[in-house]
Order: sequence, then structure tokens, then C-alpha cells
Amino acid sequence: MIEPTVLTWILAGFGTVIFLLLMSAQFIILIKPKSQQAKDILIGKGEEWRDRTHFKSAYAFAWADWLVIMPLLVASNIGVLLGQQWGYILWIALGILSIYFSIVFWVMEKEYTYPTYGPLAYYTYFWGFYLYWGVAVIVYSGLRL
Amino acid sequence: MSVLNKSIGCYPLGIWIAFVALVLILIAWIMQSYSLIDWEGAVELGLQNESFSGNETERAVADVERGIAIADILWVFPIWLIAFIGLLRKRFFGFLAAMMEFAICVYFPLFYIFRDSSGQDIVLGVLLLWLIPSLLGIMGLWANRDLFRES
Repeated sequence: MIEPTVLTWILAGFGTVIFLLLMSAQFIILIKPKSQQAKDILIGKGEEWRDRTHFKSAYAFAWADWLVIMPLLVASNIGVLLGQQWGYILWIALGILSIYFSIVFWVMEKEYTYPTYGPLAYYTYFWGFYLYWGVAVIVYSGLRL
Repeated sequence: MSVLNKSIGCYPLGIWIAFVALVLILIAWIMQSYSLIDWEGAVELGLQNESFSGNETERAVADVERGIAIADILWVFPIWLIAFIGLLRKRFFGFLAAMMEFAICVYFPLFYIFRDSSGQDIVLGVLLLWLIPSLLGIMGLWANRDLFRES
């Protein structure tokens, strides 16, 4: 049993908020793929998909996230809050994935999204939080395990 | 005790399955490394789909694929090394790293499967080379987690 601390609750709460924001945005593209609402949320208000490939990539990432990230998020949070070792292992898995797609999006999207959103939004809720959270849970879980 | 715990030589079957999955995953990292060294050569060999010298759409696909290749080599390949060495030595860090490697290798094939521009050969390739072996690797490791507990 690994007793949850205040930091465990903070990381679980913060992770839940940022990933639920991402998941809700991606839910829109899954249920209304061609809608303006999906474009407004995922690429910016009034923006258009650069081309069909841009749309297909976002759509594929949405499916991958709902099938892998969402179950990992729910299961890992339950696990760590119950003080189970497997919860921390799942947290590390989610942290690794979070850093992974942060790198992918840094390379493929930064030149488009950074000018649109500016440094504050980009390095916080739009991109940065996922990287910071990923690093934080890996370090924290590593120490607790 | 499941069949995954049955010892074959110096490791249980579940760990051997994890090793096989890691070796299959290594093929992906070799392909990605080669792509980053010579992208156009990789396109000619069929390792990547699109060229940076193509039209706007092709360049956009190439951008996505290059992003994935960079993330694979900078982040996932080092984890692969830690996983392989750690599993060989039956260390807990190897167990953790291998689990992380497999999590990524379940995630990224889904991107290719749901991106409907992927051909059937690509979908079949990512399923058989990475997604299914990674899932089996996770099962094999989890069944033998006690092996790593004291290291």
C-alpha cells in the first residue's frame, strides 16, 4: 500500500483536468468530425484544416487518445488513490505517452499553433501542461515506487 | 500459475514474449533512425509514405511522420534500451521501462489504424509487428511481475 499524499491528489486532480479538456475537445471531432465547432476547439476559432491530411491526423489522434489515454487516466487515478503499485505503473505509462505526444506535436504543430495562440497559452494549457505533468508523474511515481 | 509463468531456460515464457515484442519494436526504431538520416531514401524504400519534395499535402503528411520519428528516436528508443537491458538483468527498472515501451507501441499503431489514409498493408504491419506483440508483452510481464519485485 502506497499511501496517497497531498501531492498525489494534486497530480491526480491536475492530470484529470488537463486530460478531460483534451478528451472533451477530441470527443467533438469524433462525434462531429466536419463541424466548425471541432475546428474552433482543436485548431483555433475560425481556422480551417490545412488540408485533408491535417484533419485525418487529428481524427486518428482523437481515436488513439480515447482508446488508450482515457482508460489509462481513469485506471491510473483509481490505482494511485487506492495506494496500489499498479496505479503508479499506469501513471508512468500515461506520463511517458504524454511526453511522447508532446514531442510529436512540438515538431508537427508548433509552427502553426504557437503564432495563433501565443507563448502563454502554448506553454500552458495548449501544449506545455501535458509535458510538465508527464515529467512530474514519472519523477513522483519513480520516487514512490 | 499460468502458462506465462512456465520457465523456459533462464526466463519464464511471459518474459520471452516480452523480449520477442521488444525485438519486433526494434525494427521500428531502425526504420525511424534511417528515415531521419535519409528521409527521401526511406520514402523510396517504403519506410515512410510521403516526401518533403511532394505537393503541399504530401509535405504535410511528411511533417507528421517526421514528428513521430523524432519522438520515437529521442524518447522511445532510449526507453527501449533501458527496457531491454533491465529485463535481461531481471531488474525492476527494466520491467517498468518495458511496460512504458509497450504502452507507446499500443498507442502509436492506433494512430495509423484510424488515419484512413493508411493502406491495408500498413495497418496489418503495425498490428502484427507492434500492437499485438506489445499487448502480449504487457500480459507476459504482468504475469511475471513478482520476478522483479525484489530487484
